[in-house]
Amino acid sequence: MTRLARVGLAILTLLAAFAIVGPWIAGDPNAQPDPVNGSLLLPSPAHWLGTDQLSRDIFARLASGARISLAVAAIAVSVAAVFGSALGLAAGAAPGLAGRLLQRLIDLGLALPRIIVLLVVLAALGRMHYVLLGVVLGATGWPAVARLVRGETLRLRHAQYVAAARALGAPPARVLWYEIFPGTLPAVLVASTLGLADAILLEAGLSFIGVGIRPPEASWGGMLYEARDYIGSAPWLVFIPCLALVAATSAATLLGDALRRSLQPETR
Amino acid sequence: MLGGTGSGHLTTPLLEVAGLVKHYRTGGLLARTGAVVKAVDGVSFTVAPGETLGLVGESGSGKTTVGRTVLRLELPTDGVVRFEGTDLASLAPGELRALRRRMQIVFQDPFASLNPRRTVGASVAEGIEIHRLAPKREIPQRVANLLEEVGLDGSYASKYPHEFSGGQRQRIGIARALAVEPRFIVCDEPVSALDVSVQAQVLNLLLDLRDHRGLAYLFIAHDLALVRQIAHRVAVMYLGTIVEIGTARTVIDSPRHPYTQALVSAVPEPDPAKATARIVLVGDPPSPAAPPPGCPFVTRCFHPMKDERCVAERPRLRPLDGRDVACHYAEVNAVGGR
Amino acid sequence: MTPLLEVSDLNISFPRDGAPLVPVDDVSFMVSPGELVALVGESGCGKTLTGLALPRLLPRGAVLGPRSAVRFDGTDLTRLSERELRSYRGRRIAMVFQDPMTSLNPVMRIGTQIAEAIHAHRKVSSRDARERVLALLAEVGIADPPARINAYPHQLSGGMRQRVLIAMALAGQPDLLIADEPTTALDVTVQAQILELLDRLRAARGMAVLLISHDLGIVAGRADRVLVMYAGRIVESAATAQLFAHPAHPYTRGLFASIPRLDATTTRLTPIRGTVPRPDQWPDGCRFHPRCPVAVSRCLTQRPPLELVAPDQRAACWVAQGAAT
Repeated sequence: MTRLARVGLAILTLLAAFAIVGPWIAGDPNAQPDPVNGSLLLPSPAHWLGTDQLSRDIFARLASGARISLAVAAIAVSVAAVFGSALGLAAGAAPGLAGRLLQRLIDLGLALPRIIVLLVVLAALGRMHYVLLGVVLGATGWPAVARLVRGETLRLRHAQYVAAARALGAPPARVLWYEIFPGTLPAVLVASTLGLADAILLEAGLSFIGVGIRPPEASWGGMLYEARDYIGSAPWLVFIPCLALVAATSAATLLGDALRRSLQPETR
Repeated sequence: MLGGTGSGHLTTPLLEVAGLVKHYRTGGLLARTGAVVKAVDGVSFTVAPGETLGLVGESGSGKTTVGRTVLRLELPTDGVVRFEGTDLASLAPGELRALRRRMQIVFQDPFASLNPRRTVGASVAEGIEIHRLAPKREIPQRVANLLEEVGLDGSYASKYPHEFSGGQRQRIGIARALAVEPRFIVCDEPVSALDVSVQAQVLNLLLDLRDHRGLAYLFIAHDLALVRQIAHRVAVMYLGTIVEIGTARTVIDSPRHPYTQALVSAVPEPDPAKATARIVLVGDPPSPAAPPPGCPFVTRCFHPMKDERCVAERPRLRPLDGRDVACHYAEVNAVGGR
Repeated sequence: MTPLLEVSDLNISFPRDGAPLVPVDDVSFMVSPGELVALVGESGCGKTLTGLALPRLLPRGAVLGPRSAVRFDGTDLTRLSERELRSYRGRRIAMVFQDPMTSLNPVMRIGTQIAEAIHAHRKVSSRDARERVLALLAEVGIADPPARINAYPHQLSGGMRQRVLIAMALAGQPDLLIADEPTTALDVTVQAQILELLDRLRAARGMAVLLISHDLGIVAGRADRVLVMYAGRIVESAATAQLFAHPAHPYTRGLFASIPRLDATTTRLTPIRGTVPRPDQWPDGCRFHPRCPVAVSRCLTQRPPLELVAPDQRAACWVAQGAAT
């Protein structure tokens, strides 16, 4: 593993630990101890990262936001990976008409403008639990994974060891499960790690527009949205969630790129 | 002596191939622009139990496609393949899978033929599990025995393919094929990817297994000397058709088809003292997408009697001097005095 | 005759954690003008690296030993700067590689590629260059050069592409052609054509050829001398006839016994036991000793030098040198 990949992995691990442990030690993200005199405070021992316009503790909101933002992204990526893999495998392996129909379905999924679909669906559904938001994001993210897995499946179908398994009399389902499916995993792993960065940004964007995680619940994108009026007077309100977003997305990208490089040459 | 010529056989054949044809449509941008590649264009032969038939040819001759269509890894365009008297085309998918126990394949590239993500043991056990040839708890012992039979340590079962050299991987591939106790194995260039010193080891292993298990082989190779070492009978392929077939001794020691003669002459002779005048063919084989209408070899043939008939009329395999040969003028030796 | 090429103590290593890998270990040999020398060995024995080291085209990370010398026509190429080397590469030492597809630019007409090779070496008008290209194509046996000059590589067969590569190598009128497995990717009947061509070119141009191959058989009828490499070292060097009549090194003998023969009288070959070890697992002493049928205790610890065992024949083997005790 390269040094950059280690850095990426370390940052992601730290952020994940922060998302799990942070909310416990940081207290209530929605508490407004002193809205009159306690708002827009600079960092201090009482408020490590200061307070926002409603006197809420920014560290607590960042921690709570980390839990929600990272969970949404992780759920979105997992849903897309599982659903996309299943569909991609089926499209690549199914013979004749069934395979072609599944391929058309994937093409259709790729052709839909993801942001617009999400805006419409999220606006219609209104406020939702963040787990459900993750599922909705994942439900629009599968086509890219499906296309990738279908390609890998088509490639692996011609691998000589697949021919060997068929020659041994392995039924199609067994060939798919033992010989082809494991071969698609590295590509899915790479795509999912890179996809994590996309999902984090997507959630932040949607929350910024106001259709993702909605106030008063904390999310990194929502924090940015609420901070936008104070960029001149209290710039750290903007900087802190921005920094978190940049750290998370670049860590995922570094790790994903390193994984891609290490997995590309087929284990000799 | 096992087998006879291409047309006659002394024992009931284990494998019978008649009029095998495999055409591919190459991808043009539009379906109509794609050409039809006649990879195999009417091939017939038999393999008796325990017999080895060597199938020799250059790249593009269709020899590998014959091996794969015989096993129905690819579906033939036309023709009949009978194994133990059963027409493979008549079988339902399940029945065909059951029959795969009896016919196996060993591939050329030992680096591509093993799944890099499965242990050696899992690959060797695959066939035993599919056909339920042993209770689950006995499988590890069976796998260890198979690995030992091909000259490997039984403990290798828990390792992954990348930990092995090419020769060792080829042995693993052979163990995987043996696991289902086949009677017939297609060996598709099984040693040509290996180092010279290891080639001979694997070749000897195949010979030992043939003796101990009474296996029949379809041994596909481009190297006539190799085939001479292992095959009872030899079929020489050129551009999708068999041009000469007979016992190895007859075909290789006194070839009648000009192409066979050129192949024999092209075999590197390790002894410079013995090196005779070489026949160096001019040009390359024509594309299988546009084979000559007459004799497929006509574009490179050096036979002194080559004429219009060779260009227009495709010669059929016909018996001559104890072998079958497809050349209009095979009676006249193209390279006088050989 | 003064040698054209004199390689002495060629040592190529790759530094890494722990002991460095030394895939070429003190290799010495000579090539005379117009001579065809074959360098034979199995995969991983260092023969390709040896060939690349002569015009110093080593892969990144490779280190040449301090005593290594590659004297070409009297000049030690290892002491030259990259700039000075350029007047040797292609012009005096040319190379042909195994894979004729990847060595050619797929989107450039072959005539243009050969012309570029010509322009790289001398100033010529494009009309003269075209004449030269046509002459070269004819020389390497491509029928109807004016028609082929505009072809793209994919329109040619493997054998034709190899001929084009040879034509490019000839463009600088080299004194030494290094051909690394030039026929391995080709069909048997086409192999014979290319070997015939190399032999003819050498005779016509008085050009020396270093033919690198894994196949003892193909070098038999053509090479003047054969160098046999095993595990990074030359284990035997002899005039071809002598080598084939009386191979001295057990490895060479083993190779001969492993090659199937058309006049096979026995059904079983006698292979060398074991496998070719990887460069990080090369044993001490004589590197062939774990696979050697005649090894004695001295072979386990002491490296045998390459010494004369008969006229025109050197072998690095204690037993062959009669110094087994």
